[in-house]
Amino acid sequence: MKKNFKGKVWKFGDCIDSGNIKGVMAGIDPEFHTKVQPGDVIVAGINFGMGSSSEDAPRSLRDAGIAAILAESISNIYLRTLINLGLPAIECPGVSSIVEEGHELEVDLESGRVRNLANGASRTFAPFSDHAIAILEKGGLIPYLKSSLANNREGT
Amino acid sequence: MGMTITEKICARAAGRDRVGPGDMIDGKIDKLYIKDLRFSKAEDPKGLYGLFKEILKEMGIHKAWDPDKVIINFDEQPARSTRRAEGQESAKQFSQEHGATIYEGYQGGIGHNVMVEKGHVRPGEFIVGADSHSCTYGALGCFATGIGFTETVGVLATGKIWLKVPPAIYIELAGKRPSWIWGKDIVLRIMAEFGANGAVNKTIEYGGSAVDDISIESRLSMCNMAVESLALNAVFPPDERAIEYVKQVSTATFTPVESDPDAEYESRLRFDLTDMEPFVAAPGVPSNGQPVHEFVGTKINQAFIGTCSNSRIEDLRVAAKILKGKTVHPGVRMIVTPASYGAYFQAREEGLLEIFEKSKALLTASECGICTRPSLATGEVCISSGNRNFPGRMGHRDAQIFLGSPATVAASALAGEIVDPREFLPI
Repeated sequence: MKKNFKGKVWKFGDCIDSGNIKGVMAGIDPEFHTKVQPGDVIVAGINFGMGSSSEDAPRSLRDAGIAAILAESISNIYLRTLINLGLPAIECPGVSSIVEEGHELEVDLESGRVRNLANGASRTFAPFSDHAIAILEKGGLIPYLKSSLANNREGT
Repeated sequence: MGMTITEKICARAAGRDRVGPGDMIDGKIDKLYIKDLRFSKAEDPKGLYGLFKEILKEMGIHKAWDPDKVIINFDEQPARSTRRAEGQESAKQFSQEHGATIYEGYQGGIGHNVMVEKGHVRPGEFIVGADSHSCTYGALGCFATGIGFTETVGVLATGKIWLKVPPAIYIELAGKRPSWIWGKDIVLRIMAEFGANGAVNKTIEYGGSAVDDISIESRLSMCNMAVESLALNAVFPPDERAIEYVKQVSTATFTPVESDPDAEYESRLRFDLTDMEPFVAAPGVPSNGQPVHEFVGTKINQAFIGTCSNSRIEDLRVAAKILKGKTVHPGVRMIVTPASYGAYFQAREEGLLEIFEKSKALLTASECGICTRPSLATGEVCISSGNRNFPGRMGHRDAQIFLGSPATVAASALAGEIVDPREFLPI
């Protein structure tokens, strides 16, 4: 996982529940999976991913190659699940007001900054904890556990 | 400076003397709930057990983290797809090979209610569940939150989760609760006050002089809705009523914790329940609540009493009280799905099931039922005692779901339109 990356923005509104995210945002736009490209980023409003904890929804975004999700706020389970799947999920107040669909965003996970390359506007977010970065770097919780548990075993 | 209930439980789980909002902890889990669906090959082609086996193999060990702390329930009975049936087989296999407790058949129902009724939820515990409504358990004075599939595999391997200790919102419930107001009315009113973004990733802690008078069923319903406020968890103080309840269903020991008088809250809100009007949430999000009079006259096609939110014995009693000797409006499908087989058999003993049958309500097996399975056609309108009214939640995206208390649902079923249940409640 890159800690600094750029991606083209797809913009969505407020309160999109996981049922409508399932199948790469199929509940909102059934054709979205044909438009989105690996490395693109999603920018959404408040309460992204609310509702069911079913992993079909976050996995569909990961499998589509989405590089990051940025939203005004993200449901707790959804946010944790995305990180556990190796996909940065970022709560960034004000992000939806500085970008339009199609703009290119630069995201820096360590400094906690997002910048719109089309107009220079930027916003900050709480930088990721070392633990979250470690999980993301391994590509998710399962590979992280496999390597950390294996390391523990070697140590004992 | 003191700590809140949630902070105290998080501190104990993390093996620390104290924690505060924003602290990252590795919390030791007291109980893990898993619903059968997680074992099916739905979210991951390997399924929960397949993925877990893979991790065990790489670790070179054979057993799960403490299987005595793992509880599995079949939320759909009978399974309605081969994939689900195979998931249930896989869950049984896991249970046999690792020793987890499993509830199915007449021992089961909707998992969250089974967890509570079978005594697996106790004050002071640190509980996670592989379902978003695991926050329900906070009603009994514990920390409880939902986790995803991947994290569930992680808990099975390590017995821990990483967590940022949440800031807390204190909600003081004051005044005298009218007899026609239940947990669902109160929580819909509170959520409307919060708005859609209300309590995102925070703790909701209930307190105040009106708490004593709120039943365990109503508390469970209120904590059940915490995830719909985007809260991490919700918690009631473990008062006499809660402790009495837990002692009835469990012989295990537990250590209740209370918030310190000088605990710090991010904000405080006060709700006076005196003379409160029943509340209903309009379609879209559960925070769309308004007093019921705003919706009176809205025609309905379906009325549903069910879900982990509101179909416990208290709910079945009030619905039966309203339906007794009357018939559901001919234009309405009314469906009653008890919260568990515990509630189902209790209702039968009290003669409630017969009242439902005679009123022409369709009584179903105890399971998640139509809360997670489509039943609404385009343009249809449903009033539900459940917890979610998102577009497409119960069928077509253009169908509409209103949320209300079981009393409001039952009264509306008789009238064929949304009504104020007070007019239908026998005095």
